[in-house]
Amino acid sequence: MTKKTLLTLTLNGEETDVATPMDATLLETLREDMGVLSVKRGCNQGVCGSCTVILDGEPVRSCLTLSARCKGHDLRTIEGYEADDIMASLKQHLTQSGGIQCGFCTSGVLLSAQTYLAENPHPTRDGVKSALSGNLCRCTGYRTIVDAVCDAAVEVAR
Amino acid sequence: MTEIYTPKSIQEAISFLAAHPDARPLAGGATLIAMRNAGLIEASHFVSLSEIGELQGIAKTGEGIRIGAMTRHRETAECDLLTGSLAVVRQAAGMIANRPVRNMGTMGGAVSNADPAADYLPALACVDAVVTLAGPDGQRDVPVRTFVQDWYETALDEGEIVIAITLPAPRNELSLYRKVARVTGDYATASCAIAMDGDTIRVAIGACGPGPIRDTEAEETLRGHLANPEAVTAFAGQLAALADPIDDVRGSAEYRLALIPRLIHAGLRQMKLAEVA
Repeated sequence: MTKKTLLTLTLNGEETDVATPMDATLLETLREDMGVLSVKRGCNQGVCGSCTVILDGEPVRSCLTLSARCKGHDLRTIEGYEADDIMASLKQHLTQSGGIQCGFCTSGVLLSAQTYLAENPHPTRDGVKSALSGNLCRCTGYRTIVDAVCDAAVEVAR
Repeated sequence: MTEIYTPKSIQEAISFLAAHPDARPLAGGATLIAMRNAGLIEASHFVSLSEIGELQGIAKTGEGIRIGAMTRHRETAECDLLTGSLAVVRQAAGMIANRPVRNMGTMGGAVSNADPAADYLPALACVDAVVTLAGPDGQRDVPVRTFVQDWYETALDEGEIVIAITLPAPRNELSLYRKVARVTGDYATASCAIAMDGDTIRVAIGACGPGPIRDTEAEETLRGHLANPEAVTAFAGQLAALADPIDDVRGSAEYRLALIPRLIHAGLRQMKLAEVA
């Protein structure tokens, strides 16, 4: 059996203890030891963005982050945004626009978009594209996703 | 299983690496963990440099601007100290990959990895940066232009790590970083770092050989002839003659050679516009 080590971190506002292999990535710890399945393993190379999480307020790749580095740090996944207006609007517009098809990239897209809109309440379309450039989607062709983020921005600003 | 060791000082990191030959220093992880995930590397230990205070941050020193090896790309991309001749370094940082990766990757890690298509090395070569290494025998400084010795081979000896990159104090010049890439945030197909002071320029080309390409003699010859397009084309030809590009998924060697004069001409045009504005 793989030797596990005990880590304490804050997940979505709650201090949590988790036993995880010492060399696990944050992606492995979240999915396999904490049951957080919204965080997806796509490429496992830091390219696709489906494993994006928010570490100390900044988006990072959980597949490239060692869990050991997250000891005592603040971690947010999409479940941590239940009460967030921007996220609620993004979810609604993404569903309406057809920006969700298979859904595999969606939580990463939402976390990148939420972080971007929280800092840029009046974005340009190019700004949105650039903010989402680290999130690959193989279904939609992106237009409907960019539409949804722009529409959400307008709604939240209203 | 790889054990994780997290030293608090450079000395602890060096001593641990000296005692454990199969350990590997770990900076931001943006490349090393991806390689581990792909089964390309094995290590007895990762020596995580993330909690060594001496490796963090950007500061003014007597010699110029010192960038700690563990400074993330994001911090470099937003640093107000990198102006004038050093703006090229700030711009290169901002063009690396995408925000999540810029939050993770570090200058020391990127320089040590010496990926020929990565963005920092040409920018650092253009501004004559110096890399500071620390190892069992102490510290030493290596000019970035001689740091890369061959494809993915650097001046780093066994047990050494990069601890800082020092840039000469910013001069009141224009500088810029341009790259041709398949999409925003990709590695460069070819790239170009330029600093211009009146009638002289310094140019480094990236992704067209194992390390950045510069020719200070050719730069000297071009002095005073920047407004002459034929002279600039001849200068670009001298840099292209030093190139050793490869064919890969981002472009053919022939295409890369064709990009060199275009990048330089386009960069100079962009600078002239900036000068007017």
